Amino acid sequence: MNFVQVLVLGLLLGGVYSLMASGLTLLFGVMRVVNLAHAAFIIVAAYIAFYLFTLADVDPVLTIVVTMPVMFMLGVVMYLTLFPRLESSERYVEMTVLLTFGLALIVEGLLTFFFTGIFRSTRPEYATQSFFLWDIFIPKGQLVALGISLVLLIGLWAFLMFTKTGTAIRATMQNRTAAQLVGVNVRRISALSFGVGMALAGASGSLLSYLFPFFPSRHWQWVAILLSLIVLGGLGSLKGAVVGAVSLAVAAAFVTDIFGPTWSPVTFFLALFLVLMVRPQGLYGKVVRI
Amino acid sequence: MPETQVESIQYSDENLLGGTGRSGQTSRRWFLAVLVIIVLALPLARPWIGAYNYVLQVGMIVLMWVTMASSWNILGGFAGYISLGHNVFFGIGGYASGLALAYWGISPFLSAAVSGLIALLIGLLIGLITLRTRGPAFIISTIALLLLTHNMVDNWELSGGASGLSLPLPPLPIEWLKVPFYYGMALCAFGAVWLAHRVSHSKFGLGLRALSQDETKAEVAGINTRLYKVSAYALSAFFIGVAGSLFGYSLSYLRPTTFFEIGLAAQMVLMCIIGGRATVAGPVIGAILITAVNEFSVVQFGATALNIVITGGILVITLLFFPMGIIGSLRESGRLPAILDWD
Repeated sequence: MNFVQVLVLGLLLGGVYSLMASGLTLLFGVMRVVNLAHAAFIIVAAYIAFYLFTLADVDPVLTIVVTMPVMFMLGVVMYLTLFPRLESSERYVEMTVLLTFGLALIVEGLLTFFFTGIFRSTRPEYATQSFFLWDIFIPKGQLVALGISLVLLIGLWAFLMFTKTGTAIRATMQNRTAAQLVGVNVRRISALSFGVGMALAGASGSLLSYLFPFFPSRHWQWVAILLSLIVLGGLGSLKGAVVGAVSLAVAAAFVTDIFGPTWSPVTFFLALFLVLMVRPQGLYGKVVRI
Repeated sequence: MPETQVESIQYSDENLLGGTGRSGQTSRRWFLAVLVIIVLALPLARPWIGAYNYVLQVGMIVLMWVTMASSWNILGGFAGYISLGHNVFFGIGGYASGLALAYWGISPFLSAAVSGLIALLIGLLIGLITLRTRGPAFIISTIALLLLTHNMVDNWELSGGASGLSLPLPPLPIEWLKVPFYYGMALCAFGAVWLAHRVSHSKFGLGLRALSQDETKAEVAGINTRLYKVSAYALSAFFIGVAGSLFGYSLSYLRPTTFFEIGLAAQMVLMCIIGGRATVAGPVIGAILITAVNEFSVVQFGATALNIVITGGILVITLLFFPMGIIGSLRESGRLPAILDWD
């Protein structure tokens, strides 16, 4: 395939990857929580989209209206019931990683039990359509996904930059204690950010449902891919997540083109190792001493 | 958490000086001797056991998990570095011995120790790379390592890729087939528990505990933290590799999903945490308990899906309500029976 074509396909996916990773990096930024269950909840949202599509014939993109609020509520409730208990722990980071690991297992098991391990995907019309721009092949479904991702990411950016709550979230990201001192209710902000992160997972799930076939245990591969994106960008940095997502999506597209699709996930994992070896804090990350 | 860790260090110091008292120590010795004899004598009780092969199989699985959880504990418990991909070494052991059998006809019973050494060396190499990071970044690297290895083995022609490679079973009559595997795994489990005990009682173990609490302070105190944690990583890989080589042979079939499922790592972590991290007896108790739960849930529900839910559920409950595990919680409340105080 020619160079420009592969580049375009990579860039198209990069947008969706950015959306998927944004929630994960937001949670880390605000709470220092690596949410290993993030992709599991993306898959949950994908199943919601799948059943809305198959049973009620709702367009997968429109299911965002359902998946985002549902996952937001789930996120807030989950945060408030599980996390405050661990806050006093000296090994907070480690405990929360293990906690979300446990959550991911529970979600995976329940999904397998109820929906079996069969490959699923929604099939809206545009998912299989495509057109040519000059001589470049452009799949319509991925273009739609890119558009939605851009809208949501710009929305997230505007929310963080121009609202009072967004400012409070950014303050908490920079310095939790200082934020508390100037009157930010850190626990409320954490609960809210958890909800927002999960809502982003919800939107990602709706898009994933028609972009990639999924089954419950697929979430491990996804979470590792998403983690490699945000490690490259720097844990907790939104800009980093987008840059990491776009560059690795393009890299994976080239690897797929040259070596075949089975090696595409390897790109992400190898990149992760290289980043950890060369620059553990990532592109935009601060050196965090834990 | 840190206070209790300090306490456990003091505990082990007391023990070195004859801490829990003569009678406690003698009763513990008797208990351990009886335990070892029971484990070793189980296969001899053939005439009295109805489902002989089933009992030996379950026994072997328990011993395998004792090995894995005790080994994981060296890194995840003592050093405080959580690995969610330690079954990579299980797979390395399984594949190293399996390939040696398939291509050169070398019995895994002979090559198991070598496979363990290979796992140890690879662990050393990977540890040198990934232990440059701490906390969440390290945990992420372990998951990536697991998935990377899984993906590579899936595409490796020499080992049959994702569809796997079948191995010949040892030339034994079917009713005796389980016995060598059982004894092999028993040796492996004794070795792993012995190693954990040695680590727990050494200056090395004390250094690991120190760096698990505050790495910078430990370094200032003169501990070569990098050497310590890389050694812990490599040591924790050895017996897992040996166990993998025996387990792979006992299945007579090597498949990537047998070794590289993240669920295996979840079991190791869960057993260690529910039993009590950074204790010697904890992983053993955790392994017995969780294997029993797994057996029960498979018999009761028949589906592995619910088993995953139960694994995750127990992990979450343990973390929220008694993060120090059974041994740790009992010790804190001063109700730990002397026979279970192996530190």
